Amino acid sequence: MTLDNGEKWFKKGRTALKIQYCPACEKYIFFPREMCPYCLEVKPEWKETTGRGIIYSYTTVRRSSLSEFQDRVPYTYAMVELHEGIRIPTNIINCPVDRVRIGMPVELAWIEESKETIPVFRPAP
Amino acid sequence: MNISGRAAVSGMAELKPEIDAGGRSSLELLSEVASRAIKDAGLRKSDLDGLLVTPPAEDSCFMWPAQVAEYLKMSPSYINMVELGGASACAAITRAALAVTAGLCRHCLCLSGGIWDSQVFNSQEGKMAVMSRAEIDFELPYGPMGFNSGYALIAQRHMYEFGTTVEQMAKIAVDQRQNALANPDALFNKQAISIEDVLNSPLIVDPIHLLEIVRPCSGAAAVIISRSEEAIDMPNVPVYLLGMGEACTHNSIIYSDSITVSPVKWSAARAFAMAGLKPVDMDLLSLYDCYPITVIVTLEDAGFCDKGAGGFFVQSHDLTYRGDLPLNTHGGQLSFGQPSYAGGMSHVTEAVRQLRGEAEKRQIKNNRLAFVNGNGGVMSTQSSLILGRDKHDVR
Repeated sequence: MTLDNGEKWFKKGRTALKIQYCPACEKYIFFPREMCPYCLEVKPEWKETTGRGIIYSYTTVRRSSLSEFQDRVPYTYAMVELHEGIRIPTNIINCPVDRVRIGMPVELAWIEESKETIPVFRPAP
Repeated sequence: MNISGRAAVSGMAELKPEIDAGGRSSLELLSEVASRAIKDAGLRKSDLDGLLVTPPAEDSCFMWPAQVAEYLKMSPSYINMVELGGASACAAITRAALAVTAGLCRHCLCLSGGIWDSQVFNSQEGKMAVMSRAEIDFELPYGPMGFNSGYALIAQRHMYEFGTTVEQMAKIAVDQRQNALANPDALFNKQAISIEDVLNSPLIVDPIHLLEIVRPCSGAAAVIISRSEEAIDMPNVPVYLLGMGEACTHNSIIYSDSITVSPVKWSAARAFAMAGLKPVDMDLLSLYDCYPITVIVTLEDAGFCDKGAGGFFVQSHDLTYRGDLPLNTHGGQLSFGQPSYAGGMSHVTEAVRQLRGEAEKRQIKNNRLAFVNGNGGVMSTQSSLILGRDKHDVR
């Protein structure tokens, strides 16, 4: 998806996790939108996040019907709540699936793929 | 204006769900079930002047209401398609009630169902067809398992916040199977299952096991809604629409303010307010059940128990047709099967059967009032109904 600023969410080489923000509503917005969905008056700006948060919920995928994930099972599909208060979908890496817990502090990590850089999370020290 | 009790179910029919529709098309299934519902209502086809359809599971949706009307040679004065996922069937009933009450039509046929094609269902295109652009762009790259993982996120969080147990969730599948054993039309009606059976079935997405996941299949259901003063002179015991309420807060569960609180909180409250009734008044619960956690969250948010107490609530009640809290007496979709959008209609047809006193082996004794809930997406769009045998129960 092409975002408002012309950047792709999974743009290769990305190093910062930016989330849309409406200065009028003082609210973060995810997924990205043309207009702030709270007021429908303001075009959101992009703000860099701390990249830190907690696991809000998760599930261990034991069997995947998606071809590119079949050799990755079991893996953790999760919702992370960033310190900024917004929740995003992600994977948890560097953590055995049976150690993942709701409330666990996590920090941003990146998975480099051939054409994309994908933001994921790992346990925070 | 309160339209409570002004419209009624005057006819209905349902096909036995099948894994394989034997090469028949969705339109063929819909015409068969429509024919049976018309007969049930004691009407002729020419009496039907309203048509509401839900999308076909696999066929092209384009101009689907007109495709159905053309196939049935209907020329309705009121026609539409309702697409609210699993809530579509209940929502169609509400829209039909509005239409007959407003005089846009006299007898409105609500048609739901179609064929299930495992190849389409399991294909990449089939998966993408039920995803929004946002889900494809921001969720799919992380490998979610469609609805399974969405409900798994809710179940996991519900266990964390409220101490709900896997045994409590499994019990819903167990009790509903007991109900299915008394339903010759249910897909899974041969063998009882135990809590151990459920928990020993493969974990698909933690904490959801295989026996806690709805089985898509082929089938169809039809319900005819008429004005109450007409329904009273028709052959069946009228089942009145006493309360209707809807709510929607999100599409993907990622964007729900709290994933353990669903919009049932508002849809049910609106339906009860319209009917002037309370959860405790209900004799039968017919709740959308794609997974057990759906039932637990619905029970809580509709007010049958406190928030967070849903697990304990199902553990401490007998949910079978013989029990103190009859719930999904047809087996629920978990055991009846999920014939596409008609899965949501099965909760309506079962409530009508019970209220008419036609549920045979599984007939409940107190059968005056039923709460029916349709749920679309991942606890997204909700459509709640209160059905009753008596029009004036309420005021």
